[in-house]
Amino acid sequence: MNGNVEAVILGGIQVAAVVAAAPLLNGFIKKIKARFQLRQGPPLLQGYRDLAKWLSRSEHIAESSSFVRVLAPAGILAATVTALLFVPVFSERTPLTASGDLIVVVGLLALTRALLTLGGMDSGGAFGQMGSSRELAVGALVEPVLLLSLAALALQPQSTRLGDIVAFGDAHPEEFISLGWALAAAGFAVVLVAETGRIPVDNPDTHLELTMIHEGMLIEYSGRSLGMLHYAAMIKQLLLAVLLVNLFLPFGMARFDGLPGYALGTTLVVIKVALAGLALAILESALAKRRFFELPDLIGAAAFSAMLGAGVTVLFA
Amino acid sequence: MDDNLLATCMSLLLAASAASSVPPLRRFRPALVLSALASALALATAIHVTGTGEVTTLTLWEPSPYAMLELRLDPLGAVFAAIVGGVGLACSVFGVSYARHRPIDDVVYPLFLLMLLVVTCAGNVYTFLAAWEGMALASFALVLGDGAPRPRRQAAIVYLVMTHVATVFVAASFFIVAKGSDSAEFARMDGSALSVPLASLAFLFAVVGFGTKAGLIPLHIWLPRAHPVAPSHVSALMSAAMVKTGLYGIARVGLVFLGPGEPWWGIVLMSAGAASAVLGVLYALMERDIKRILAYSTVENVGLITVGLGAAVALRAEGRDALAGAALTAALLHATNHAWFKTLLFLSAGSVQRAAHTLNIDRLGGLARALPATGAATLAGSLAIAALPPFNGFAGEWILLRTLIGAGGAGGGDAVRLTSLIVAGAIALTGGLAVACFVRMFGIAFLGIGRTPEAIAAREPSPIMAGVLSALAVGCLATGIASAWVVRWLQSVPAAVLGAPAAQASHGGQLALTGGGAFSPVVIAAALIALAPLPWLLARMVFGASSQTQGPVWSTGVAFRPTMQYTGTSFSKPLRLFFGRVLLPERQIEVIYHGASPLPRLVRYSGRVPALFEERLYLPLRALALWSAGRLRLLQSGSVQAYLLYMMAALAVLLVVAQ
Repeated sequence: MNGNVEAVILGGIQVAAVVAAAPLLNGFIKKIKARFQLRQGPPLLQGYRDLAKWLSRSEHIAESSSFVRVLAPAGILAATVTALLFVPVFSERTPLTASGDLIVVVGLLALTRALLTLGGMDSGGAFGQMGSSRELAVGALVEPVLLLSLAALALQPQSTRLGDIVAFGDAHPEEFISLGWALAAAGFAVVLVAETGRIPVDNPDTHLELTMIHEGMLIEYSGRSLGMLHYAAMIKQLLLAVLLVNLFLPFGMARFDGLPGYALGTTLVVIKVALAGLALAILESALAKRRFFELPDLIGAAAFSAMLGAGVTVLFA
Repeated sequence: MDDNLLATCMSLLLAASAASSVPPLRRFRPALVLSALASALALATAIHVTGTGEVTTLTLWEPSPYAMLELRLDPLGAVFAAIVGGVGLACSVFGVSYARHRPIDDVVYPLFLLMLLVVTCAGNVYTFLAAWEGMALASFALVLGDGAPRPRRQAAIVYLVMTHVATVFVAASFFIVAKGSDSAEFARMDGSALSVPLASLAFLFAVVGFGTKAGLIPLHIWLPRAHPVAPSHVSALMSAAMVKTGLYGIARVGLVFLGPGEPWWGIVLMSAGAASAVLGVLYALMERDIKRILAYSTVENVGLITVGLGAAVALRAEGRDALAGAALTAALLHATNHAWFKTLLFLSAGSVQRAAHTLNIDRLGGLARALPATGAATLAGSLAIAALPPFNGFAGEWILLRTLIGAGGAGGGDAVRLTSLIVAGAIALTGGLAVACFVRMFGIAFLGIGRTPEAIAAREPSPIMAGVLSALAVGCLATGIASAWVVRWLQSVPAAVLGAPAAQASHGGQLALTGGGAFSPVVIAAALIALAPLPWLLARMVFGASSQTQGPVWSTGVAFRPTMQYTGTSFSKPLRLFFGRVLLPERQIEVIYHGASPLPRLVRYSGRVPALFEERLYLPLRALALWSAGRLRLLQSGSVQAYLLYMMAALAVLLVVAQ
């Protein structure tokens, strides 16, 4: 088969797989957390039922909302899925490999943040505005961590294409696994926690105004729009988890060809993501939420770690 | 052909100024109409010159072979001439509907445009300095206006002082290079014969002199004062076009005149740029006046462009020419992009001022529903300036970040590699803060509900103004999608300046550099536009049409009032606290009790973010200047004999030095 056609089909399957599996990871984390609390927890597939419920319900719209209300949910979903186009999932081949790289992924995630926070401010309700204000402050700190931790990995392969980074890591693990790698991974792990709205940065289980960031922005949304916003958040969570495991532990993925290879690649990535989900659930169960104004310490440390990771790679690799 | 066009456009500007001084003609707005025409001509000429890479020369006046008025439009200058022309066109058309009738403004405005244009195509040091000074004076007059309110007068005077100090440094830098190359003609100026310390001095003088005009921190203090007080179309011209002449100067001296240079020059420039970018956007986040937000954001964007220029200097000094070309391309691309969205946002501020009679975001709100065209255009501009795909701001940022990550890779000195990565982190932080800044500006002023009767009653002020804003918004999107073609247009500049290719704008509208990793704005935009309606369509197909009900905002059960909304100040509180050690915010809370009652009768709260550079750097400098002026007054005895003695002494010293 023509290599390009194969890459497009493969990539399409990867994107579809992530979009389809996103609620599953959420359900998995909830299940583990519930077990830690000696509860049964909602079924694994509850996420799908919730989505179907929201998507089929009617919407209640604030009188003071503007065109941003329509733009935000659609734009956020579109930007998240577009970012997925450049993320290697079970193969390093992505559908539009020559059209985007890690900077584009960071840019598209920033676009989702802008649309989400604008949506939160749309109706003028103070809860949404509070969520937006906090999300933007956290997001501004997270952005350099995200970029630098990825850039640290891009230095050795001299490429910002995510597939190239994965291929390099898989082919040269002895150069890839280094002090710089470890520091960058630590930075990126904090990004994952902060961007998915998890403890100690945010609490996904509460609507209490003192603690919330993400839920606050959604407060004026209902029905179909709310479903889309929740769905986009789930996809983004899985996207970041896949980025973490595939970029920092790319082993056993890049060189697979043919069906058995893809099957093995898929199995590996499912196991890796499940482990990441397990780690998130354990972290959430073991830690308490930090006060909002203490967050700069955590994210600042992550930024320092990522910066150091890049610096160490420059000096010693 | 180009020289004729250039001459025509300059004559038009002179005619515009002259016609405005004839009272019966004024009601036809000749200043603005003819300026629009001249700007369009300048834009076309400049696009042609950069596109073809041909140099156009024109001698205007030749009183002596050593001092003549000479124009020379080369690809580098033409990029900036195109910016002046494009911004001038938008501002002049907008001004026809927006500008108030004021004779002085009408006479000076075309002259300001003329001087801006001459600065970008000056062919020798004298022409440049004359136009530079003319540009400063014309903009001073426009900032001063009738000089009625005291802050306006003060802003104009701070601007005048800063710009003149800057001119001294610019002139000194030029004269060092001119002396070293035995020519004051730009075409022949070349600092390669200069010793390294002397060349470094010329470079640093240029950074200080031009950096003041560009608004680099800490030389920026005039900018957030002067830009907001002028009328919006003049603010736009100053913020989107005039500051770029400073960057043009840095590029001209640092890259063209002073040749390959030293890596540390680039490191200095990159650090100054990164500091300006981060601090500029932080201060923008603390402002409540739309125009002051935009002015500080200009400081930020100038910082980003300066990072690109600095990276070009550093990489070229290390012989990494391909990356240096990409860095220069990033700087120029961001300069043209910034012209689009900063013009749009300043003109939008003009519309808001006309519609709601205030620019304080805490007194606005709900404008997106009241002014739909202005609102949509301002949203586009906000997303573009926050460097979000698929708008043009992101394309410049992509090349810049890609170049810096490339510069961090193998092949250069450790100092440059480390600086590049740290600066890349600073740019990412700037990007995150810019998103916060412009979501805040748009969200507080345009979303929610109006906070004052004026804001609630606001309507689109005029179709011309809304039309210009919409056209600029479309431009922000279109140049973002087509950025590969804009880069191809810019390619003649790195070729001429460095002899290096730009970021290769290859087939299919894709941006790519050496090494892996590419960005195709066309594909990203297509994916976003194709995917955006998909969720709604799919949901409709699977779950059927969904009904909607309307109701008031949920506000814990009580009636929703405008004062319940966040203000700009409360919105930026988290960042004010996160960056407290940099911003040093002050607040005072005063509680007054009445008699023995434990309940306070009155609580007064006031808070501010001090302008640290003014208070900690410039006030002591001013005190020093005044003190030394007082000391020097001892010389001024009032006796003619003493003055004659000074003149004799000065002559004697000069003769000794000249020997």
